[in-house]
Amino acid sequence: MIEIKGVSKAFPGRKGSEPVQALKDVDLIVRDNEFLTVLGPSGCGKTTLLRVIAGLVPHDTGEVLVDGKPVTGPGPERAMVFQSFALMPWDNVLTNVAFGLEMQGVDKKTRELKALELIEMVGLGGFEKRLPGELSGGMQQRVGLARALAVSPKVLLMDEPFGALDEQTRRLLQEELLRIWEATRTTVVFITHSMEEAVLLGDRVVLMRPRPGRIDQILDIPMARPRSTHLDSVESSGEFTAMVGLLWSNLRAMHSDVRRARQAGQAAATKP
Amino acid sequence: MSLVRRVLDSSALYRLIALAIFGTVWQLATLSHKSMLIPTFTDTMAAIPKLLIPGYSGDESAKLWDALYQSNGALLIGFAISVALGVPFGLLIGRFRTIERFANLYISILLVTPMAAVIPLLVMSLGVRDGAMPTRVILIVLFAIVMLVVNSRAGIRQIDPSLIEMARCFGAGELSIWRRILLPGSLPAIMTGVRLGLGRAITGMVIIELLFIAVGLGNLIQRYDAQLDGPRLYALIIIVVFEALLLIQFVRWVERRVTPWRKTPSFGR
Ligand SMILES: Nc1ncnc2c1ncn2[C@@H]1O[C@H](COP(=O)(O)OP(=O)(O)O)[C@@H](O)[C@H]1O
Ligand SMILES: [Mg+2]
Repeated sequence: MIEIKGVSKAFPGRKGSEPVQALKDVDLIVRDNEFLTVLGPSGCGKTTLLRVIAGLVPHDTGEVLVDGKPVTGPGPERAMVFQSFALMPWDNVLTNVAFGLEMQGVDKKTRELKALELIEMVGLGGFEKRLPGELSGGMQQRVGLARALAVSPKVLLMDEPFGALDEQTRRLLQEELLRIWEATRTTVVFITHSMEEAVLLGDRVVLMRPRPGRIDQILDIPMARPRSTHLDSVESSGEFTAMVGLLWSNLRAMHSDVRRARQAGQAAATKP
Repeated sequence: MSLVRRVLDSSALYRLIALAIFGTVWQLATLSHKSMLIPTFTDTMAAIPKLLIPGYSGDESAKLWDALYQSNGALLIGFAISVALGVPFGLLIGRFRTIERFANLYISILLVTPMAAVIPLLVMSLGVRDGAMPTRVILIVLFAIVMLVVNSRAGIRQIDPSLIEMARCFGAGELSIWRRILLPGSLPAIMTGVRLGLGRAITGMVIIELLFIAVGLGNLIQRYDAQLDGPRLYALIIIVVFEALLLIQFVRWVERRVTPWRKTPSFGR
């Protein structure tokens, strides 16, 4: 279980401008074995939230607990999948997938055995000697996923992992991820800016709003599992359409709020 | 692929044609305008084996090999020092901004100063006794090191920050980040620096010997020049250029070997 209590994070603004409040008083509990998706317009602090959980950036106030223990830095129970894949171009698939275990000091033989198992699991069997540059984007992200799963994390942190992929590839990877998740039930925090993706994959959707970055609301997605076997019928179901519609009306309201606030600000500024 | 096709596709063929055209134009030009100092192409070509092959023409070749040995000794030591100091220094200032703030002034000076202008000063203060090996080595370092520093720094800078973040996320400390991300990631740029630095070191070697400390190849060039020995002078210069090309090709070969993940070679810096 991840408990996020009253977490705020500000970044110093560029020279002259005031600091950016990337997160303000965020409270969130990520339950064990749940698939949590986080949705919101860009700049609302999604990435910052994930990096705080990963222990990559320190937060200003509040606390982040993983199974009751405060997060002070990165840890082996939390693994991340990156939007840009973040593969080492000089190492082959096998070495890339084994990287997390290598950093943990696992001996070569053991870690390569484990890596091979995961390469198989993400559907890349036979590609272990290839370099990342020889793979398509979709295959590269499969490597990224295998690398994260290889350290047997309690929580998988994914920052718009399919954001850089084309539509068909994204669909295939969504299916693959759901299949793996349904088999392993690893807790997932999955960031996306696609409403459809948030509903399709998640047990719950956290909707965030910007300036300052905070949680707007949390929606339960009541659709039955497993979904990976019939994604198309899930997407054409009334429940799915209704959830996406609900998210959209919230996001649209958010946009007009932002516009109104900006106009009010400008009006105040032009007043003599 | 047919043999004809393969020959037509090989760049060696085009190089050969380019050389043949160059030789022909040279030959025709020198035959029609006789000049004491510009030898014909054929005379120059005939002089090359005299210089290179021991015993082919008196002690001619002994002089050349002695000069090659002297010059390349300073080149090798100077260039090795440049790599050994320049690469770690460039990598460090690439990673740590504070160190860079201190170093920037010196790097700028090394980059913009016309070396030929400061060599006399250095030669005066460092001394020219006994072939002045240490002086020549220091000067070659001054010529070459900036290329290694600047390219190594650029190598660290262009590493995708998400790779470093990824490594930290999987538990890497600073040492592991250096070993697994920063060093391999900057290797292509380091090799570019080695190649450009070697070019500068060779230029430096010839300039120093030609203009300031008369030893080695530079001394030999001066001697043939004074003797108005056109064929030998030109043959010697061709040998020096050829050696430089060989060295650079060797670096390119190493470059391809150590960075096989890079498909396209980079140009310049
Ligand atoms: N390292 C940083 N330095 C300064 N500002 C940052 C940094 N990271 C994020 N921000 C700012 O914090 C806000 C939230 O960013 P981010 O978490 O990346 O949003 P999202 O992922 O939802 O698009 C943005 O306004 C962004 O400009
Ligand atoms: Mg983001």
